[in-house]
Amino acid sequence: MVFALHTLTGALYLVACLASGAGLALGNARATRFAVAALALGALFHGITFSLLHTATAPPPLTDPTWAASLMAWIGTLAYLALLRRTKVSGLVVLVAPMAFLGVFLASLRIPADPALTPIDNSSVPHAHVVLASAGFALLGLAGLAGALFLAEHRRLKRRQALLGAGLPSLESLDRAGAVALAVGFPLWTLGVVTGAMWVHAAHGAATTGSAHEIGALLAWCVYLLLVLQRFAAHQGARRCAISALAGFALLSVWVVGVEMLA
Amino acid sequence: VKLLLLGMNHRSAPLDLRERLAVDDPGPLVQKLVACEDIDEAVLLSTCNRVEVVALTRHPDAARLRLRSFFRRELGGDSQLERGLDEALYEYRDAEAMRHVMRVASALDSMVVGEPQILGQTKEAYRAAVECGACGPILDRLFQRAFATAKRVRTDTRIAEGSLSVARVAVSLAHQIFEDVSGKRVLLIGAGEMAELALGALREAGVASLAVANRSAERAAQLAVAYGATAHGLDELPRLLAESDVVLTSIGGERPILQIDTLEPALRARRGRPIFVIDIGVPRNADPAIDRLDDVYRYDIDALAAVASGNAEERRREQARAEAIVAEEQQRFEGWFAALRAVPTIRDLRGRVEAIRARELERALSRLATDESTREAVDAFSRALVNKILHAPLSRLRREAEREEGMAYLEVARLLFGLDDAEPDADAAAPPDSPDSDPEAR
Repeated sequence: MVFALHTLTGALYLVACLASGAGLALGNARATRFAVAALALGALFHGITFSLLHTATAPPPLTDPTWAASLMAWIGTLAYLALLRRTKVSGLVVLVAPMAFLGVFLASLRIPADPALTPIDNSSVPHAHVVLASAGFALLGLAGLAGALFLAEHRRLKRRQALLGAGLPSLESLDRAGAVALAVGFPLWTLGVVTGAMWVHAAHGAATTGSAHEIGALLAWCVYLLLVLQRFAAHQGARRCAISALAGFALLSVWVVGVEMLA
Repeated sequence: VKLLLLGMNHRSAPLDLRERLAVDDPGPLVQKLVACEDIDEAVLLSTCNRVEVVALTRHPDAARLRLRSFFRRELGGDSQLERGLDEALYEYRDAEAMRHVMRVASALDSMVVGEPQILGQTKEAYRAAVECGACGPILDRLFQRAFATAKRVRTDTRIAEGSLSVARVAVSLAHQIFEDVSGKRVLLIGAGEMAELALGALREAGVASLAVANRSAERAAQLAVAYGATAHGLDELPRLLAESDVVLTSIGGERPILQIDTLEPALRARRGRPIFVIDIGVPRNADPAIDRLDDVYRYDIDALAAVASGNAEERRREQARAEAIVAEEQQRFEGWFAALRAVPTIRDLRGRVEAIRARELERALSRLATDESTREAVDAFSRALVNKILHAPLSRLRREAEREEGMAYLEVARLLFGLDDAEPDADAAAPPDSPDSDPEAR
């Protein structure tokens, strides 16, 4: 059941990918709206998947990077849908949908048909760490995606190759979406780092073991602290903020997820 | 007479060449043109996308040279631009020139096909030529025909439906930069017509906060009243730029009014909020170097039109129908224009016959003791007789003159009636069987 729902979620995210791509290519705003609807429906099934996973058995092994990828995809999608209520960024679905699909797809690769769901720890700290870090990662990823689309749009506008009627979000909307995602994502990431340190401390008696994952996460946190200060205190320009958000997310992915995957 | 058209447009010439040739008041220039003996009538059309002179001439080769030197002179000896001039200038004669004028008025030759501004601009150019006496009966007829063609094109085709004028494109682009255009502050620098249109379009898009800055405080105040804006002098520009999200410029001047030095302090004050610069001025009012500033998006008239043309596919389909209308109207005008060749022959023939009629009438009346009413009756009779006899051949001559082969008819008419011969004297002109030629009849 869980596997079937997860597959259905992936299928809906894929539909959203295709519809958003068609919306962009054909300049069709209705296709973009359809993509957002498919993404929202996918997020609903995604949520049901996690609920079943959580209630049917003991807490799921979220510390498994593939499940974490799926969780990040879900939180990222929810964050995007929440942003839609505040900003006009429906066109961002063209990047969010593929990322959501990718998260679910990665999780599907290693999900057994009948997963053996065993708790990793009796404490709630590991789960809090995974949920908070995944949520932070997802939101910082959303900021990165908004930054990527901003840069593409900025480049087109600067080169005077504007696409009228393509339903792409305005630069201002993307900048705002990036700012909101960063403003929410960074505290979540911070809490993720703190709970991570608490978990390590509980397990090893020290706040850090010096693993690549821990060092990478801490470095990424430092870099993001700098970006947050530049953005909200130094009022950096929108293009530089977009570059920072994209570069920051790339570093985060390499340091934290990349290291974890390779390990 | 020949029709000659020389000019350049957005396709043939770059903006920097067009902006050097842009003319605010074409009146004095066309007056100068028609003062030359090679040019009989002229109309000068100067918009941000084209500079063209339509001329009527009896010496097309001399007129062509005259017009080329006119364009060269306007460049003020800039050798670099002059080198590009020959490539940029196109030339049309007679039928092609007629077609071109009609296509221009119908917005078929515009950057944005079907855009509504060009018809008004063409009418302005025509009016300026009429007011300074440079537009004679033939160009008058051509332009009236062109306006009628443009009207037909707009009503009989869907070419103008949903037309993306440059002003509307500017608004669409503003939506790509700003989330909500209605909350933005717009600054208009100058008072050009196109900028005013863009201002109107932004107003329609819901922009509430407008400011107008101009050299002439009076003109700024006029616009401010018309659009519910605030009026300012150019000395307030630094402060206004820092407050404005959209800057529309259309102001005259040798140097661009918006440069990096002008915008950098404004951007600092704006803390990275972007500025959308819509430069509709020709010459350009915004230095292209400001593109280096991250938060400035500059679109000049060429860039706006290029964006608009990307959305014009549907109107291009209607273009074929519009072209057919133009071809039909051109043919009609061409017939009228060609028929002008018959005018000298018809005028000479009428003159010759009228002279004979008047002379013979005088003779006849001198021999008759007539009262005034009889004289009038005989005079009317002679006129009616001449008109009825001439009606069919003159109509035929007019019709035939519209065709290229019709020249033969004109030549035969001149030969038969001896129109190129000296005016015969009264006696010689009298036919052998007339009473004048019969001595016994006296």
